[in-house]
Amino acid sequence: MTATDLFIALPIILLAVGALVTLLVGAITRTTNIGIVIALAATLGAAFWLMQSPPTLPAPTLGLSAGGLSRLFGVFFCLLAAGVLCLSVAYNRERGISGEEYPSVLLFTTFGMLALASATNLLTLFLGLEAMSFGFYILVAIDLQRGVSGETGLKYLLPGALSTAFLAFGIALLYTVSGTLSLHELMQFTLTSGTPDPIALAGWGCLLAGLAFKLSLAPAHLWTPDVYQGAPAPVVAFLSGGSKAATILFLLLLLPQAVDVSALRIPLCALSLFSMMIGNCAALRQNHVRRLMAYSSIAQMGYVVLALLSGKSGGYQAAAFYAIAYGTISLAAFGAITVIERNGGGETLDDYRGVGSRQPFAAGVLALSLFALAGIPPTAGFTGKFLIFSAAIRSGEITLAVTGILLTAVSVYYYLRVVVALYFNHADNTEDTQPRSIPTAPEYAVLIAAATTILILGLWPGKLIELLSRA
Amino acid sequence: MIVPLAHVLVLAVILFCLGLICTLVWRSNVIMMLIGIEIMLNAAMLVFVGGACHWGTADGQVFALMIMAMTSAEVSLALALVVYLHRRRNTVDTDEFRELQDQ
Repeated sequence: MTATDLFIALPIILLAVGALVTLLVGAITRTTNIGIVIALAATLGAAFWLMQSPPTLPAPTLGLSAGGLSRLFGVFFCLLAAGVLCLSVAYNRERGISGEEYPSVLLFTTFGMLALASATNLLTLFLGLEAMSFGFYILVAIDLQRGVSGETGLKYLLPGALSTAFLAFGIALLYTVSGTLSLHELMQFTLTSGTPDPIALAGWGCLLAGLAFKLSLAPAHLWTPDVYQGAPAPVVAFLSGGSKAATILFLLLLLPQAVDVSALRIPLCALSLFSMMIGNCAALRQNHVRRLMAYSSIAQMGYVVLALLSGKSGGYQAAAFYAIAYGTISLAAFGAITVIERNGGGETLDDYRGVGSRQPFAAGVLALSLFALAGIPPTAGFTGKFLIFSAAIRSGEITLAVTGILLTAVSVYYYLRVVVALYFNHADNTEDTQPRSIPTAPEYAVLIAAATTILILGLWPGKLIELLSRA
Repeated sequence: MIVPLAHVLVLAVILFCLGLICTLVWRSNVIMMLIGIEIMLNAAMLVFVGGACHWGTADGQVFALMIMAMTSAEVSLALALVVYLHRRRNTVDTDEFRELQDQ
């Protein structure tokens, strides 16, 4: 292991060591907050290291690289984890989730994301994705005092393990065809122009099936609403923002290196179309806010697949932009839901009536993120959708783009239903009996930062797009 | 290699399908689903080892070893969940868990 290797691997090592130290410290002292402090220090340290270090050559002995895209997403994952940690403090105290496991597992999950982001071969990519998924299997079921936690864990673990099997089998078939695990060579070999090998196509089929589970694309989306409903709110913020962005990054590391992706056009078209249709239509009938957000995330991932489909005309940048924008929006939305639900506030639309006057700050952030998800300017959601649909139209996917734009218009209805419940329907005579929670300082900080980022990405997206096109 | 690659692939595909059928048919029992998933992962390992032998590189064997390590972690996690659910609800039948669903 040379100095260059160490230089590139340092943020990943920092997170792994942080996770272990958190566990050990938890065994020594009884104070719960020390674990959160160590975890915050590790994530912010890793983010700082990634930001200041110059791009370097790949580390050949480790299968890691520190390219532009890796470092950008690495910083994003670390900051997202730090935000989720800040949000969790008050929520976990009120829900009785104590102990060092929570910050430790969260750090381990971030470690997996970072390993995935800097992978140069399929082995590291696969192990990073799995490390991340393992962390989430534990995190979604960590609230042992609630009855539904076990069910949530089960409903995430079993489809997740099934998707892992598909993913491993797909990678195995691709390896058999190409004889290498290096991303670049494998992509050159398995997706060539002309007629590709049938075994390679079968491998790609299995790989896409596995990734569709992780990205919750229809028809592999059934776990999403249940997990979003049952897991603790800060974990859902991390799951929705982090794991989706990491899976998109998985595809972004693979697809742009291929000679010709036209062999994957039909499966990707189908996944995109089904996700957009099923996600948006199912969300129309939801009264449960978290389930509504889950169906909306299915639809949003459909738009991202549309961007990946039209990669050659700027779709890859659009997908990366949307992954980051969607992560930030998820953090803001579920951060606000964390604050609203913290004191036992309800989960259905009826319970959200009048929250706008009782908890103006959280309701404001939630409304902003819903506007962003609906794609109303000047938010990050609008810019992201604009980039995706313009890339799709440039590359000739007119039918899908028009369907997507029409479904976006439909989606405004259910997002605005939540906003209407927040501000225009007053709760009848229950004004004083309803619990109200005042956001704590860390929650204020995270929500303000996330809301500002949503607005900045909407008003001045040029800087991020420039970074992405250079990466 | 004495055994041709095609035979290894056919065997692996059969194993994978058997595992998938096991997972989909015994949907009510968590343990049977886990066994099915294990069989699917073993099929993937078989393909890796066969591929490594075909190409004469060690990459595939390393991947197979890593899958073994990953699988054991996954199974321990799943069994911990099974023990927790059994203590709490006295069943591992997945049909009994229907608190989270569309109203």
